[in-house]
Amino acid sequence: MAALTHDERLVPSAGTPRPRLKSFGVAALAVVIVGGLALAGAFLPLSTALDVRNAIGLALFAVATNLLLGYGGLVSFGQAALYGIGAYTVMLGWQHWGWSFWTGFVVAPLVGAAAAAAIGVIALRTRQLYFALLTLAFTQLAFTLAHQQFEFTGGDNGVFGEVLPAWLADERQGYMFTLGVAAISCFLLWRVVTSPFGLTLRAIRENRDRMEALGVNVYLHQLVAFVISGFFCAVAGVLFVVHTQSAYPQLLEWTKSGEPILMAVIGGMFSFLGPVVGAFVYTLGQQELVQQTESWKLVLGVILLAIVLLRPDGLAGLVSARPWRRLRRSETEPGA
Amino acid sequence: MDTVVIEVSGTLSAASSLFLASAGLTLIFGAMRVINLAHGSFYMFGAFLTTSLVGFATGARFWWAVPVAALAVALIGAGVELGVIRHIYGKEHLTQLLATYALFLIFADLALRIWGAESRAVPVPKSFFGSIEIAGEQIPKYNLVIVGTAIAVGVGLWLLLKLTTLGWRIRAAVDDPESLEASGVNLQLLFTVVFALGALLAGLGGAVISPQIAVTPGIDGSIIVGAFIVTVVGGLGSILGAAVAALLIGASETAGTLAAPDWASTFPYIAMIAILAVRPWGLFGQPER
Repeated sequence: MAALTHDERLVPSAGTPRPRLKSFGVAALAVVIVGGLALAGAFLPLSTALDVRNAIGLALFAVATNLLLGYGGLVSFGQAALYGIGAYTVMLGWQHWGWSFWTGFVVAPLVGAAAAAAIGVIALRTRQLYFALLTLAFTQLAFTLAHQQFEFTGGDNGVFGEVLPAWLADERQGYMFTLGVAAISCFLLWRVVTSPFGLTLRAIRENRDRMEALGVNVYLHQLVAFVISGFFCAVAGVLFVVHTQSAYPQLLEWTKSGEPILMAVIGGMFSFLGPVVGAFVYTLGQQELVQQTESWKLVLGVILLAIVLLRPDGLAGLVSARPWRRLRRSETEPGA
Repeated sequence: MDTVVIEVSGTLSAASSLFLASAGLTLIFGAMRVINLAHGSFYMFGAFLTTSLVGFATGARFWWAVPVAALAVALIGAGVELGVIRHIYGKEHLTQLLATYALFLIFADLALRIWGAESRAVPVPKSFFGSIEIAGEQIPKYNLVIVGTAIAVGVGLWLLLKLTTLGWRIRAAVDDPESLEASGVNLQLLFTVVFALGALLAGLGGAVISPQIAVTPGIDGSIIVGAFIVTVVGGLGSILGAAVAALLIGASETAGTLAAPDWASTFPYIAMIAILAVRPWGLFGQPER
C-alpha cells in the first residue's frame, strides 16, 4: 500500500492505527441504529414492524450491492440473481432434499458466493455498459431457469412452505433474527470497506489505469469484491425467506436488480449507511405510496428523475455539497 | 430437410423482430453515447398505439396505423430528448441508466393508465392472413412483413448513413462532435433528430410486431432485454453488428426450440455470455475506456 502515498487523499488510514475517537463514534452510531430498530421491532404495531423487517432485509441487499456500486464503481444488474439464489437455495433444499432452515442458512451464502465467482469471472472481463448489460443477462438467465424448469423450481408459482422452525416463524422473533443477521453482516461489510482491500477497491474506482500501472491486480480485486457482495446478497435472500417463507421468479427479474441500486442512489452511494437510509425510504415510501395512489411507479419515476437531474449524489448529498470530498476526508481525518 | 426450412424461417423472423427492437437503440448509442432503458417503452407505445388505431373489428386500417404510430412515438422521443436526455449527455453511465430507468417507470405507469392492464390483440391484416407453404412447411404469411420491414429498416439506415447529409453528420457526431459543431452544425438539433429517429424505429418495431404478440403492459421490460442482448453482442453503436447479432441470437433461439424446448429461452443468454467472454466489447464494437 506504500505506493498509494502518491495520492495524498488516500494516505493515512490504511497503515496508521485508526483513531480511537472515530471508532467510538462509529460504534455508538451502530448501537443507536440497531438498538432503535430492536425497540421498533418490539413495540411497533405488528403490521408496521413487518414492513420494517422487510426494509431491514432489503437494506442488507442494498449495502451488499453498494460494495460494488459505491466503493467499486461497478454497476451490476446481476445482484438480483444472487439474492434470488439465496432464497431459492433455502426453499429448494428444503423441498427436494429435506434440508432444515439452518442447513439452507449456511449453504445459501456459499452458493451465492460461488455463483458470484462464476458470473464475475466472465462479466469482469467486460467494462462499463457491457458489464452492466452482461450481468443483466446473467440475472435474466437465472430468471428464465427458475421460470421454465417448473418441475424443479415450481415455475411461476415458485416454492413456498413452512420452512422456518416454529420460534422463527413468530413474527417478532423473526424480526429480531433478521435484525441480528443484517447487523452482523453490515458490520462485516464495514470491516471490508475500511480494510486496505476496501481502500484499494476505491482507488481502482478513482483511477483504474494508475492502479494497474502500480501493479495492482484490478481484475482479482474486483472479483473478490463481487464474490463478497454475492455472499451477502444471498444472505439478504435468506432473510427474504425468513420474511415470506417463499421464493419465486420475480426475485430474479432484472428490475429487481435495479432496486438496490435505486436504494443506494436515493440514500447516497458514497456513504456506507446511505443505502440503508435509501432502503428504508424506498421500501416504506413505496408501502405508503401504494396505499395513496395506484401510480406509485409514476411518482417513483418522477422523484428518481429529479434526484438524477438535480442532486446526483442522493439524500446524503443534501448534507454535504461535496460528498466525494467528504467521503475522502472521513477516511483520512480523525473524527471528521 | 424440413427442419432446415423451419430453422431458416424461424431464425429469419426471430432475427427480424430482434433487429427491429434494437436498431434504434444502437443508432442512438452510436451517435450520442447514451444508453436508453426506456427504448422498450417506445416499442410498447408503438404496439399500444397500433391497437388503438386499428380497433378490434378489422385489420384494414393496419397499414396506415403502423406509420402513424411510429411517427407519434418519434414525437414522444423528441420530447424526451428535449426534456431529459439533453441533460445527461456525457454523464456517467449510471446517471444515464437511472434517468432512463425513471423514464421507463413513468412510461410503464402511463401505459397502464391509458390502456389498462388487460392484454390486447391486433388482427393480422387480411392480405397476410394464413400461411404459405415453403418446401412442405407451413409458414405464417405475416412473417414476410416482419422480415421485409427489418430488411427495409436495415438497408434504409445504411443508405441514410452513407448517402445523405443527415447521415454524414451523424457519423461525424460519432467521431468528433466538437469539430462538427465548430463547422456550424446545430449539434443539439441533430441529437434531437437522431433520438426521435431511434424512437421512431422502436415504435415501428412495436407496431409491426403487434399482430403477432399479446400487447400488454410489461412488454417494455421483456423487449428491452432482447434489444440489449442484440446491441451488446453486436457491439454498442454498430448497426451492422446489431443485424449480425440478431441473426446469431435468432438462430440460437430457434435451434434451442428444436433441440431442447425446455431450455430454449436460456439459449440467447448463454450465447450472449459466451460471445462476450471471448469478445468483451461485442462483435463489431470498440473497446470502451
